[in-house]
Amino acid sequence: MSWYDPDGAAWTYVSRKLISARLIVLWICMGLPLIAVIVVGALTTAWVWLAAAVFVIGGAWGSWIVYRQVTAHAWIERDDDLIVKKGRLWRSVTVVPYGRMQYVEVEAGPLSRAFGIAKVQLHTASPGTDASISGVPESEAARLRDRLSSRGEAQLAGL
Amino acid sequence: MTEPSQPRQPSQPARIYRAPREWTRLHPVSPLLGGWAVFGVVGTIALYNVAPDWAGAEEDLVEAAHWLWGSLLWVILAAVVIVGMAIGIGYLQWRVDEYRLSDEAIEQRKGVLFKQHKQARLDRVQAVDVVQPLLARIFGFAVLKVEVAGGENSGIALEYLRLGDAEAMRNELLALAAGVKRAKAEGRDASVSAVVEADAVAGSPQPAPVGGEGEEPADASAASLRDVTGGRRSLGGPGAATETAAAPEREVYTVPIGRLLQSIVLSWPFLWICTLPLWVGLVVWIFPIDVNEILAVAGASLFTVVPAVLGLLGYFWSQLSGGFGFTAAISEDGIRLRHGLTETRRQTVPPGRVQAVQFQQSLLWRKKDWWRVTINVAGYQDDQAAVSTLLPVGTRQDALTALWLVLPDLGDPDAAGTVSLALSGTGDEGGFTPVTRRARLFDPWQWRHRGVRATDRALMIRRGWLVRDMFVVPHERTQSLGLTQGPLQRWRGVATFTVHSTNGPVSPVAEHLDVADAWALLDAQAQRAAEGRRRQTPEQWMTAVGIREDGA
Repeated sequence: MSWYDPDGAAWTYVSRKLISARLIVLWICMGLPLIAVIVVGALTTAWVWLAAAVFVIGGAWGSWIVYRQVTAHAWIERDDDLIVKKGRLWRSVTVVPYGRMQYVEVEAGPLSRAFGIAKVQLHTASPGTDASISGVPESEAARLRDRLSSRGEAQLAGL
Repeated sequence: MTEPSQPRQPSQPARIYRAPREWTRLHPVSPLLGGWAVFGVVGTIALYNVAPDWAGAEEDLVEAAHWLWGSLLWVILAAVVIVGMAIGIGYLQWRVDEYRLSDEAIEQRKGVLFKQHKQARLDRVQAVDVVQPLLARIFGFAVLKVEVAGGENSGIALEYLRLGDAEAMRNELLALAAGVKRAKAEGRDASVSAVVEADAVAGSPQPAPVGGEGEEPADASAASLRDVTGGRRSLGGPGAATETAAAPEREVYTVPIGRLLQSIVLSWPFLWICTLPLWVGLVVWIFPIDVNEILAVAGASLFTVVPAVLGLLGYFWSQLSGGFGFTAAISEDGIRLRHGLTETRRQTVPPGRVQAVQFQQSLLWRKKDWWRVTINVAGYQDDQAAVSTLLPVGTRQDALTALWLVLPDLGDPDAAGTVSLALSGTGDEGGFTPVTRRARLFDPWQWRHRGVRATDRALMIRRGWLVRDMFVVPHERTQSLGLTQGPLQRWRGVATFTVHSTNGPVSPVAEHLDVADAWALLDAQAQRAAEGRRRQTPEQWMTAVGIREDGA
């Protein structure tokens, strides 16, 4: 069964570079303990290698999830609203009308900057609005921000 | 109108208050009203001191308290110093705490070390409250709170003003907020003097009589409301040309004290407390435990039991205090709510400022068919429960009236019937879209009661089997929409639909809808919300409650 797909609009998927960025973070978290476990295993008993196997399997599984999540993360700009979808196992779609946007935030950490991607987050007056797009190419992020802001201004309604 | 506001002269008879256009300090008594919390500290020390040993307070604390109490002189001295310091700091703060009203905004600046300058735009005002804490109430003072939707601490609180001044200022604020818009809509000069002059010309010498005492409040239609408020907001009386009178209001329902007390008795915490000895007895009977041992445990933790009991009493107290004398009225300025036993609060929520409504009925209230109605208003941040109640307990008729206050036009020819079915119907009764049978996995009993329905103006979400629950969200108040689906839901082909509302106790959600229905609903709601926003313009403020504008 397919998931939500609005008529007459195509999803823009986020940059695949997000996969690399997330994998690096994942493998730093998995790799350091893995090395530690291997060293300890070499020095003491080989049973410790089982833990290493756990880390390897965990890392591989995490990598698969990262790949699946990033390839499911997309957005659509419609005339009145922006739609963001994310997630595979727990999937969600958020529809944010431009007229309800309070501000747009573009955020990029050192790793994201190295990959030339950024996170665009939309804020409404509701704390429940979970509309963030990770892994937007930097140039596109700036364009998206300006476009969203100008549309928001044009359609701004009272609270 | 154009001369600068004069300094207030309390000695002058028939004092006329007008909100200051120049920077003005709050009432000089303010530092004295704020510093009394200190006595609580002294009281606590005394309590620890007189507590007998068996109470089992922590040794260190008791020792410290004994030491403190041992030298009474020190205690008195400390109290004097602390009170003096509190008043001193309060005085310093009072000296720099100033406010003024301009044509577009109310401004406040304060802070001794860290300066703060706040400005609340009048056309962004979400609610105006006049709050009277106990001490302030005894001496006839009040806090004026102006809420704007800017997150934590964005509102303006003027502590303290004379009660009359606070009310006059509230009236003027609301008149300006509505009047500025009215003037703009008519293409007139949107300045204070223009509005006040227009009012002076149009104003009848006294408020229009509040008619229709005999008729049922629920029958109040837009037409009868028009009769009440049709006479334009008048200005005080003869000679009171600068004091803005409150817009005439019409009381729509009250909560009798008897019903409030009954509703507290018919609540789960009360039932638990009443049956507690039974439960304890049952446990002791089933598990043969030495009673002395239990008492020892209880005694050792008396200092933990007492706060727990006090906390429970506090719960009942807040229910009683919050709902005491609850009165809802409608006026040109919006919904007026008055309530409170020791601390009284008079809230004014301008029309169209309510973001979402929730009806709730616990199992214990079902026989009486009583409902509680809560609302989301952007800007109310602190003590949400106290300020977000539209009806603490009321009959179905009251609940319908409460909804009518918020949404005079539900966009349904038979609004009362539809809402009634929304409150207690099942399945597709009342034109609701029911959830699919596949949702039984998640809700073996509740699934029959779930449903959604959109009228032209609002979305209604029904749920609840034992505790009945219903949400109403006006389309133009939709912030954003969400659709989520977990793996189990995916297997059953259902999804959860969420309407994101502003911060508050109401979070509307429709769980386990059929996926196809959920998709259709998402599309339709996005469409309806866009239409609602186009329909809603700031100028409609005045017409939103069905009040005619007789062009002044």
